[in-house]
Order: sequence, then structure tokens, then C-alpha cells
Amino acid sequence: MIWEALKKSLIVKEMEADSCEDVFRQLGGALIREGYAKSTYIEALCTREKDYPTGLDIEGFGVAIPHTDVSHVNQAATAIAVLKNPVTFIQMGSDDEEVSVKLVFMLAVVEPKAHMEELQRILSIIQDKAVLEQIAEAQDEETMIEIIKEKEN
Amino acid sequence: MKKKVIVACGGAVATSTIAANKVVELCKKNGIDVEICQIRISEIESNLSGAVLIVPTSKVKRDYGIPVITGMPFISGVGMVKTEAAILKVLQGE
Repeated sequence: MIWEALKKSLIVKEMEADSCEDVFRQLGGALIREGYAKSTYIEALCTREKDYPTGLDIEGFGVAIPHTDVSHVNQAATAIAVLKNPVTFIQMGSDDEEVSVKLVFMLAVVEPKAHMEELQRILSIIQDKAVLEQIAEAQDEETMIEIIKEKEN
Repeated sequence: MKKKVIVACGGAVATSTIAANKVVELCKKNGIDVEICQIRISEIESNLSGAVLIVPTSKVKRDYGIPVITGMPFISGVGMVKTEAAILKVLQGE
């Protein structure tokens, strides 16, 4: 279950960021500090996002799932940021379609095939607009984890 | 005969893993014998041999001479039924 593995230290509420790179620095920084990602992680996220953007428009709710090559990761984890003001990301599968992102699920992946089920669980959370809205409006980290737990049960 | 399907994304990390799994499930349900080749977009060219379909979860700019059906709906959840139908049409129409 995703909710069981979520750490409060990897959840940032009301993040003040002015660009997707800024989000990567802050949230990626948390993953590096906690030992999940290597020091090269942030730079790798920025490079990859330019070539293969990760913004998604879920029925009008903007969410992004930045991730990068396994070589920049020590241990699998998911970090979440709720942005105080939406930040522009480019939509996945496009070159220039923008999406205003409110919620970021940053994935530190080590072995994609082994984490198939987790990846799918994260996607089923991301594909549910009502859940995204609830997470964005949650008062604190515990409430966020609780919302995800309910979605998974 | 096994049908070779290329599933590709930027880093073969997350999105193509999901899309590959969906294509496998879809084929199993419909009795199609499929071989998935999960790679990066940049590796498509060198893996084209024998492939009948490309399902990318990132933008593919080049024409590889075989059908390309975007796997984005597997990620966003929007338009999944239509995408599955399109994939089946290619694989069953062979």
C-alpha cells in the first residue's frame, strides 16, 4: 500500500515554488536529505523533464509525476508537494501544451518491474480527480495520508 | 505467431512499465500472443525488427513505418477504452 510507505518528511504542504525546477530542487532535496535519492537526482529530473515532461491534466486538475533514471536513486519512495500557487508544467506526451500543476507526486524508482503494483496504485490515486482535490485541500500530512489510505482500501 | 509491441517512454522507468503491463493484460484477455519490448524512445530504431506496433507514453516525432498508438491514456486514465480498441484493431488485423 502507498499510504503505509508515505513519510511525513517527504510531504510538503503549501510549497512556494515559481517553476518546475524550483519544485524539483525543494522536493528532490527532501528525497536526497532522507537518503532516498543521490545528489545527482535534481539535475537529472530537470534534464529529463525538458525532454519528457510529466504534467497531467486530470479533468482540469493539474498534477505532475516527475521521475528519472534509476541510477540517481538509492531507495524507492514517493514524495508529495501541494503547491501554494500552481506552477506551469508541460503535459506528458506533448512539446508545448501547458498544464497548471497544483499537486506533485515525485517518484523515486529503483526497479520498475518490481514496483509495478506500487506504480499502478499511485496512478489510480492520480487518476481520481476527487482524491486529488481532497489531498490539495488537506489540513495536514496525516490527513493526506488518511485520504490516500481510504482511496486504497 | 507472437506479435512484438514496442512500449517506450523517456527513461523506461515508470510510465512505460505501466503501459507495458496494460498491453499485456489486454492481449491476454483477447487471446493475443504478445512480446513486449519495453525501452526508451531513443532505442526504438534499433529494436524495430519484427515489431508491429509502437505504444509510446512520450511524444514520438519520427515515422518508423509501423503504427503508433499513444499509451498516454494508460497514465491519465482518460480515453483508455478507445486506446485499447485501437491497439486490438492493429494486433488482430494483422
